[in-house]
Amino acid sequence: MTGAAVHVAELEKVFDVPEREGGLRAAAKGLVRRRTREVRAVDGVSFGIEPGEIVGFLGPNGAGKTTTLKMLSGLLYPTGGEARVLGHVPSKREKAFLRRITLVMGNRNQLQWDLPALDSFELNRAIYRIPREAFVPTRDELIELLEVGDLVRKPVRQLSLGERMKVEIVGSLLHQPQVLFLDEPTIGLDVTMQKRIRSFVAEYNRRHGATVLLTSHYMADVQALCKRVIVIHHGSILFDGPLAGLADQFAAWKTIGVALENGQIDLGRYGEVLHRDGDWVTLRVPKAETSLVAARLLAEQSVLDLTIEEPPIEDVIELVFAQERAP
Amino acid sequence: MSARAEAAPLREAGGLRSMADFYLTTMRLAVQEQFQYRTANYFYMFGMIAEPVIYLVVWTTIADQQGGSVQGLSAGYFAAYYIVWTLVRNMNIVFGAPFWEHRIREGDLNKDLLRPMLPLHYDIAYFAGWKVVVIVLWIPLAIGLSLVFDPLLDPRPLEIAVFAVAIWGAYLIRTMFQESLGMLCFWTTRGAAIFDLWMTTELLLSGRLVPLPLMPDWVQEVSRFLPFQWAFFFPIESLVGDLSNEELIRGLGIQLLWTLIGLAIFRIAWKHAVKRYSAVGG
Amino acid sequence: MNELQYRVNFVVQLFQSAIALVVGLLVLALVYSHTDELNGWSEAELLCVLGIQILMGGAIRTYIQPNMMRLIDDVREGKLDYALTKPEDSQLLVSVREVRIWQVVDLISGTVVLAVGLSRITTDVGILDALAFGAALVFGAVMIYCFWLVIATGAFWIVNMWHAVELFDGIFQTGRWPVGIYPGWLRYSVTFLVPIAFAVTVPAQAVTSRLQWQTLALAALFAVVLLGFTRWFWRFGLRNYTGASA
Repeated sequence: MTGAAVHVAELEKVFDVPEREGGLRAAAKGLVRRRTREVRAVDGVSFGIEPGEIVGFLGPNGAGKTTTLKMLSGLLYPTGGEARVLGHVPSKREKAFLRRITLVMGNRNQLQWDLPALDSFELNRAIYRIPREAFVPTRDELIELLEVGDLVRKPVRQLSLGERMKVEIVGSLLHQPQVLFLDEPTIGLDVTMQKRIRSFVAEYNRRHGATVLLTSHYMADVQALCKRVIVIHHGSILFDGPLAGLADQFAAWKTIGVALENGQIDLGRYGEVLHRDGDWVTLRVPKAETSLVAARLLAEQSVLDLTIEEPPIEDVIELVFAQERAP
Repeated sequence: MSARAEAAPLREAGGLRSMADFYLTTMRLAVQEQFQYRTANYFYMFGMIAEPVIYLVVWTTIADQQGGSVQGLSAGYFAAYYIVWTLVRNMNIVFGAPFWEHRIREGDLNKDLLRPMLPLHYDIAYFAGWKVVVIVLWIPLAIGLSLVFDPLLDPRPLEIAVFAVAIWGAYLIRTMFQESLGMLCFWTTRGAAIFDLWMTTELLLSGRLVPLPLMPDWVQEVSRFLPFQWAFFFPIESLVGDLSNEELIRGLGIQLLWTLIGLAIFRIAWKHAVKRYSAVGG
Repeated sequence: MNELQYRVNFVVQLFQSAIALVVGLLVLALVYSHTDELNGWSEAELLCVLGIQILMGGAIRTYIQPNMMRLIDDVREGKLDYALTKPEDSQLLVSVREVRIWQVVDLISGTVVLAVGLSRITTDVGILDALAFGAALVFGAVMIYCFWLVIATGAFWIVNMWHAVELFDGIFQTGRWPVGIYPGWLRYSVTFLVPIAFAVTVPAQAVTSRLQWQTLALAALFAVVLLGFTRWFWRFGLRNYTGASA
């Protein structure tokens, strides 16, 4: 199948939110005349995703990530623009479409609460009409990949948050969807579990070539999994490209850390002094001048140690979010 | 292995067989889950017998006062009527309109909308499985009530067969109309008032209060054109009363008719409800 | 609860009470379309019974049930300790702190129905009858309170007392009809086990001039005994509870 897995053009979602002031009088007025306010949750977003890509949607809460995902999975109707997933229009909610995608939302339960996960898997098998010959090996492979073999016989309510997330993922992949929408899959989980799930998604993508759209506000998720990241804020795309390019576009500097014999020397003429800790000084330097400054430091000062670092991605992201509009 | 991404979607099993498979799997799940809750289920069923027992006593008292029968219905008939009532009442409990509000509010609806299947199927199948548990739990209750109240019950084989089908017909009719009613929750949070009115009309016209022949004539006339009595009075009467073979079979047919009408109403309402939900968001 | 929520609750309650009342009246009319009297009670007299049952139900749901349900919840969620650290007597505190004021609608509608029923009775209501009625109501209410508190105290041991609430509503419906129609075992249950007969039928007997002084004396006696037992049971449960919690 050639062509993009996901195609989005000028996608828009505008909500009419009722304006509500406090107090009884306003409530009574509200009964007669509704005052509404327009909220542009998604404001003209365009992108395309090729089959097999893992793309991260990064953005603070309320940026429009989840809304976009819901529109791509058919749960919300767009108010403007166009979206196509695997050639289907999501809002039509065709059965064939629903059988080829999956949406996993962090912190949400799709499995039966009081029964072992295995029983819920059977239910999914029946819902998605998965032939037995395909179902059993798929299920067993997923159970093995996520290491939940001893958990699937226990009632879901007895599992911890992280364990529940793992069996949820198994349940959502039984029908071998070609597109995975993962909405904040690692939210609320401890670090080990987060790593586990990330490595699983990477492995799954490697084995089955499924397209993955991942939303998160954890930088670590994106760093671990996504070669390509789309930054969304206030409903618009601020950046769409390789992760490394993010720093280039928004934070064109690097930090140089020097350990000096004499830490009291003023290094102001080399670059912006960020931090001084005894004999260790941290400098911020424009990216293009990094090698030059480093060379000068080594030549002109008695340097015991020198490190050059990329700006931490979290700082870059904060900078990005601080922008109201794309540059 | 990445060639799988380009492979055709999974070959599916045939439509009807898959549906049957789904229904059986879901029912089995429901039986497992509800069996875990059997104490709670029992408590609920037990609390429910107060209503019919009170009516039973009132009408048998009147019957006794008037020399054995009220309008041709004997005390034994009333006892049988209200004991069978307890089963039919339980079969009438379905995924009701108030639950829809909860479903929407809790965001559970998203999970259902992602499935390539009408949520109605899941509701019907799950509750059907639950009813199996209910029927099993009901039997000792019925025996106990029979020992206390001495019902007049002597059904013919055809009556038993029709009854066994009619209780499921009642279940389906009630499901269709309650699910349709539940669609109102997509447009208003004040649906409770409408539900109450509906339930009250149902209470009066279905045979839940009294056997229909005891109601004024005009009420019986009106009730004939509404689905309520076919979900309540007919199943009970098929077992307890004296309907002719023709009336029994015709009753099943009318049950089918009402089920289809309810289904049609639901499908239309559901289409509009989903449109509304997807426009406004969950 | 803010003002708007109160108003909404009132409107909802008005609506529900109206429906319940209409249904109750329809059932009465239906029964009396097939007979002239039930166990010696005429239609007007049964209207009085209905009025008292609604009235009493309103009182229970306004003052008694909210407190008891909150008590059950507090025990289950471990919040009872707040009440126990207050200087007032714990039993008193847990019995009066909650009020569902919108249920007052039933108190009013019940009284109206009772008044209508009284106006249609052929026998006159004398001063003695009225006093007996008042006394019977008080005894009945006290007994219902005791019953509820005993059930709620059971929450100290049995976690899932919620079912009791549902059961009560169903059983309370027996009060709509003169207790004499029920078979023996049921009659005794709704008299001494769940004191509905004392809450509804006995006051109704007073107001329809068929109350015997022995019954009223029994009511008084039973009320006192129940109060004493309830008090003891509450202290017993409390000792258990505070002994168990760390």
